[in-house]
Amino acid sequence: MRLLICGWAAALLAGCAAPERVVLLPQADGRPSAVIVHSQGPGGAQGLILAQPYAEAQLDSGKLELVQNDAASVLRDFGTLIDFQPRRPRLFTVNFRPSSDTLTPETENVLDEVIQALAAMPAGELIVIGHTSRVGSVQDKDRLSLQRAAVVAELLVRRGVPSEKIERVGRGERELLVPTDDQVDEPRNHRVEIKLR
Amino acid sequence: MKKYLVAQALALGLCIGAQAQQGPLGPNGSIDPIGRIKRLTGTVTVERGGKTVAVSVSSALLQSDCLRTGADGYVGLTLADDTLLTAGPGSVLVLTRFAFDPTTQDGELKVSLPRGRVHVVSGLIAKKAPENVEFKGRNVALEVRGAEFLLAVPGETE
Repeated sequence: MRLLICGWAAALLAGCAAPERVVLLPQADGRPSAVIVHSQGPGGAQGLILAQPYAEAQLDSGKLELVQNDAASVLRDFGTLIDFQPRRPRLFTVNFRPSSDTLTPETENVLDEVIQALAAMPAGELIVIGHTSRVGSVQDKDRLSLQRAAVVAELLVRRGVPSEKIERVGRGERELLVPTDDQVDEPRNHRVEIKLR
Repeated sequence: MKKYLVAQALALGLCIGAQAQQGPLGPNGSIDPIGRIKRLTGTVTVERGGKTVAVSVSSALLQSDCLRTGADGYVGLTLADDTLLTAGPGSVLVLTRFAFDPTTQDGELKVSLPRGRVHVVSGLIAKKAPENVEFKGRNVALEVRGAEFLLAVPGETE
């Protein structure tokens, strides 16, 4: 019934809804992704998997249908919205001299780069994230990584970044740059990432 | 007539869920923000605890916030797990549930869009535990597998 009365003119008069739409976009890094769309239809639960870029699920009069768009048509319909998205988070990495609180000479000027990028970003904030190798207990590694983050945050504050713009996070050994066996002291895993977003 | 009443109820209830509990208390007894407004143009307001709050670029967002954009409004948010949400004109966007532990990257994200358009770049929660992430339109519910996508929910009379 709804199908029959939901023509264009009827939609204006009777308040029938235009279709709900879900459109999968390609990922910025080009990796495959998917969205699974569920809906309760008159005939029970329905589902669709969107796995191709620009594939669309349309829920029209209770029926879920797959439509394949191309980039041009999606940009025409949604270009302004897509252009308005916030900047993607940007990552900077600093390394420490072995068993010390001082940065390696190579990463010393990364902080200046971070500060310049922060100044250029509206409503920018910094998340300073410490990482360790796999030596020690979970609690020790979490504490050490947070200490490292605090050291870098302090260097940024001394260079004029307001402390409240910085969040300090310790990730311990959860995000190894170089995967190793447990208790291996791989120097490249001792690092601090600074995320600008 | 019945349809009209249903539409009215929908319109009034768009921010339902926005009066639910706020997020966890921070170390100073303050409420931790779950994200911030990064870009904004036109009319954008937030309903929080039954009140309408004026917002601008860099305003903090809290769990259960309900954002509304006017006919000229666009708003771009970044949540604490790097999820990017951008809503277009005529949208109602409810940040129903958000929890995120930056150390373990465990968390939960529930967002609903009763009306309007949103562009989504999923974040760290979706990467770590996609089963804890849910986006809802009016009649659709989405599971996300590390994706960027658009959701468009027309108003009843569009």
